[in-house]
Amino acid sequence: MNSFTLRRSIFDGLTFGFLICILLIVVANPTDEEWLNLSKNSLIVLASFLFSMILSEILNRKSIKTLGEALFEPDYKKVVAPEMPWYMTFSKWQLIILLITLFVVGVKVTDFSLLKLLDEDGYNGVKRIFTELLNPNFQLLPHAVLRMFETIFMAFLATAFAIPIAFVLSFMAAKNIMKHPLAFTVYLLIRTLLNVIRSVEAFMWAIIFSVWVGIGAGAGMLALMVHSIASLAKQYSEIVETVSEGPIEGIQATGASKLQMIWYAIVPQVVLPYISFTVYRWDINVRMATIVGFVGGGGIGKLLIAYQGQAMWREMGCIFFVIAIVVWLLDQGSAYIREALK
Amino acid sequence: MNENILSIKNLEKQYPNGVKALKGVSFDVKQGEFLVIIGLSGSGKSTLLRCLNRLHDPTGGEIIFNSKNVAQSQGSEIKELRTHIGMIFQHFNLIPRHTVLSNVLMGRLGQMGTWRSIFGLFSKEDKEQAMKYLKLVGIDGKAKIRADQLSGGQQQRVAIARALTQNPKILLADEPVASLDPATCHVVMDYLKKVNQELGITIICNLHFLSLVRQYATRVIALKAGELVYEGHPKEIDDAWFEKIYGEGAKEVHIN
Repeated sequence: MNSFTLRRSIFDGLTFGFLICILLIVVANPTDEEWLNLSKNSLIVLASFLFSMILSEILNRKSIKTLGEALFEPDYKKVVAPEMPWYMTFSKWQLIILLITLFVVGVKVTDFSLLKLLDEDGYNGVKRIFTELLNPNFQLLPHAVLRMFETIFMAFLATAFAIPIAFVLSFMAAKNIMKHPLAFTVYLLIRTLLNVIRSVEAFMWAIIFSVWVGIGAGAGMLALMVHSIASLAKQYSEIVETVSEGPIEGIQATGASKLQMIWYAIVPQVVLPYISFTVYRWDINVRMATIVGFVGGGGIGKLLIAYQGQAMWREMGCIFFVIAIVVWLLDQGSAYIREALK
Repeated sequence: MNENILSIKNLEKQYPNGVKALKGVSFDVKQGEFLVIIGLSGSGKSTLLRCLNRLHDPTGGEIIFNSKNVAQSQGSEIKELRTHIGMIFQHFNLIPRHTVLSNVLMGRLGQMGTWRSIFGLFSKEDKEQAMKYLKLVGIDGKAKIRADQLSGGQQQRVAIARALTQNPKILLADEPVASLDPATCHVVMDYLKKVNQELGITIICNLHFLSLVRQYATRVIALKAGELVYEGHPKEIDDAWFEKIYGEGAKEVHIN
């Protein structure tokens, strides 16, 4: 089995399997107890997944093109495929049914209801929170501004510390530089590590660091830094992978070493996009710093969570105001800087 | 004049995808000659040049340079080899954001310490030499200008100056005029001729246009599908040879 059929089978296995499971739920209407029987349910899910993979294989053998096939088939197969109107193709109907089912299940699961938004309870709730939020208690303003500064510098320091580390890592995480077999192993290791770190959200890092170094802006800064290193290194390395080969050959031909090649042929090509991504990262970090503060990272988030706990909506209105102004200003500022760097 | 500076024996190159770009090519390069390699696109010309300075790794055969086989050299030996062999390219391959002078100084990279080069600490002699070669290609007035602000022909002259700053024994030129207009073509080729005659640097050059070959080459070899099909004086390429190299029905295009 080559990699394209594997990808097709997994994709179709998931989509068909999902539809089968939904069908089973509708037919069997399981009780609360049955819902919580994880081992039995996992078996059912796995069985429908495997069944669907086989189904996908059978359909494609009978030259009925599934969505997975349409998505992952290699170009040489695409060229010879007959031209068909969309409503005549199996794969398009598979996509439509899948999307509709996802939508319906989504509405069911999230308990989304227009009624609740519009009924009397809802009306009273929205009236209460908006009258108080829009009538902020500005006595809190000096305090909020001070905390906001803490948040901005938390984000700034996190970005600043992340830059040099991400810079070095980015070359080690770029495929076009790490071609040598040994280097490729390092590349894979670093890529995996970065992916693992990025899959842990900044606020989870904040929880970890708040225990490690104690609650406060220090923990928040470290959390943002770890997350920024992983994100920046990934973005930087993608830029490195798109540099043009010409200057690299030009420098290599002079007998330059690898480090000289990187410094003279690659760095000049990547430096502007690097700065652009970094400014954007700082911007993102300021927003994330608010969330990070919620869970023990200090700054404005800490203030926010304190007043939310006491349902002091007028004080929260003041904090909202400060956050909104700062986020808006940074958003504009970083957009101007990035535009100028193009 | 008769001494061999480079001997290529049975050189082979097979790419990882199975394509055999060179199928056992053998020829000698004499000290001080202007050797031109002709052939259709895809005949293996570029691959051949890139094997000579080991930008590509040959999969078989020998390259004898300084009475040493460099076809299988590794690591620092390759870097040492490259310092003796300058190269210019079809698309110039300068660093666009650096100045002309800085680009020319990069020719010194292979012969200076990594840390000194990273801080840009080029010696006074290096700078004088870079300016000397910029003058040689007639572009010393633009030393402080960014490389991407020059025209194509000017960029190629900067590339020549960069290669010369290496103080090479051989200069490889891969389609040096293929992306230039006909008038600029001759300017660049004339500078290559000057480098060849005044500095005595051996030149190995890939070219498309036979009219240029006749004008500049002292000797010609022709590749077809990875094999050497002709070796001789440019004046000896008659219609029969032309058809053999480029295939039947091909017509010669003249550029003036």
